[in-house]
Amino acid sequence: MNVLFYTVMLLCTAIMLVTSPQTFLSTLLGAASKSATLCISLLATYSVWLGLMQVWQACGLSQKLSRLLRPISKRFFHVDDTQTLDAITMNLSVNVLGISGAATPYGIQAAKLLDKTDEAEYASCMLFALNATSIQLIPTSIIGVRTALGSATPADIVLPTIIVSFLSTFLACLLVRLFIPPKSKRISTEKRRLLQKNKGACI
Amino acid sequence: MNVFMAILIPLIFLLTFLYAARKKVKLFDCFTQGVTGAIPLIVSIFPYIVAVSMLSAVFTASGLETWLTQCLSPVFNACGVPTQIAPLLLVKPLSGSGSIAVLSDILQTYGVDSYIARCACVAYGSSETIFYIGAVYFAGLQRKKFTLTLWICVGCYLFSVVVCCLLCRFM
Repeated sequence: MNVLFYTVMLLCTAIMLVTSPQTFLSTLLGAASKSATLCISLLATYSVWLGLMQVWQACGLSQKLSRLLRPISKRFFHVDDTQTLDAITMNLSVNVLGISGAATPYGIQAAKLLDKTDEAEYASCMLFALNATSIQLIPTSIIGVRTALGSATPADIVLPTIIVSFLSTFLACLLVRLFIPPKSKRISTEKRRLLQKNKGACI
Repeated sequence: MNVFMAILIPLIFLLTFLYAARKKVKLFDCFTQGVTGAIPLIVSIFPYIVAVSMLSAVFTASGLETWLTQCLSPVFNACGVPTQIAPLLLVKPLSGSGSIAVLSDILQTYGVDSYIARCACVAYGSSETIFYIGAVYFAGLQRKKFTLTLWICVGCYLFSVVVCCLLCRFM
């Protein structure tokens, strides 16, 4: 992220110095004020969803949901902590439903909690990969835009969208697993190697 | 489908409140306690949102975006990706609100049901705002492998765009 920020910022600032120096500051200010407005509207969405989540937690609903999905997410993320798994499960299920805005607070919470576990490296990368490659089932916002613009068949992009996002998510998971292997798996393979060595020595 | 989606969210809330009533949870106290958590959350992600949106604004304003689009169009063409959706592909990883504007622009210019428009829709729907999510989710957390994951996601994104344009030819 730092490298990206450096290169793009340096290049763009240099270009704008030559082409249009008077618009530079106003561009930055415009972006900052836009993000301030965005943050206010995000505050509104987050308060609604975080409030609902607190109610879920208090009446034991989120624990139930994550217990249901625990075997899968445990194997996938190599994390044991219940609270962390709760947050991950909530993030992923809301993501699948496509309620954008609701997934982010759960995701941030999950990322913060994951940072404290000993599988932090692998699990947080996996969480990011899942979130960044879109696991949404129905692209509601696009169907909305297409309907508004008078498309004859607004929903005919659903199937290709599902196929493509499934493919890219699958590929991302595979690559994360390959390049950032979970520690516990590494330990178990080492153990196995050790066991085999011992066996060889015994024979 | 739209009716189903419209009903879904109120239904989730209603079921939650009913369940909370059965479990005798203090709904008001609980809800307000949850909302309290939203403020530190926003405060912690605000600087990152500002930085990313500045980045994307400068990227567009300096003309680097159009230049990059022109430079990359032979590459896109070679992969079977129509050049017309290149601006969308460049903006989408950076900002969600920016890319929906670009998307509706493409839809209006080339017709909602054209091949280009459908490619743009599928590419938009099957990807996420990678850099924005990266900045917000992992604000302040230092992980060495994180940059690698970012590149993995960008790679998968490009791969998905190529696949999507291929699929749109047949479906």
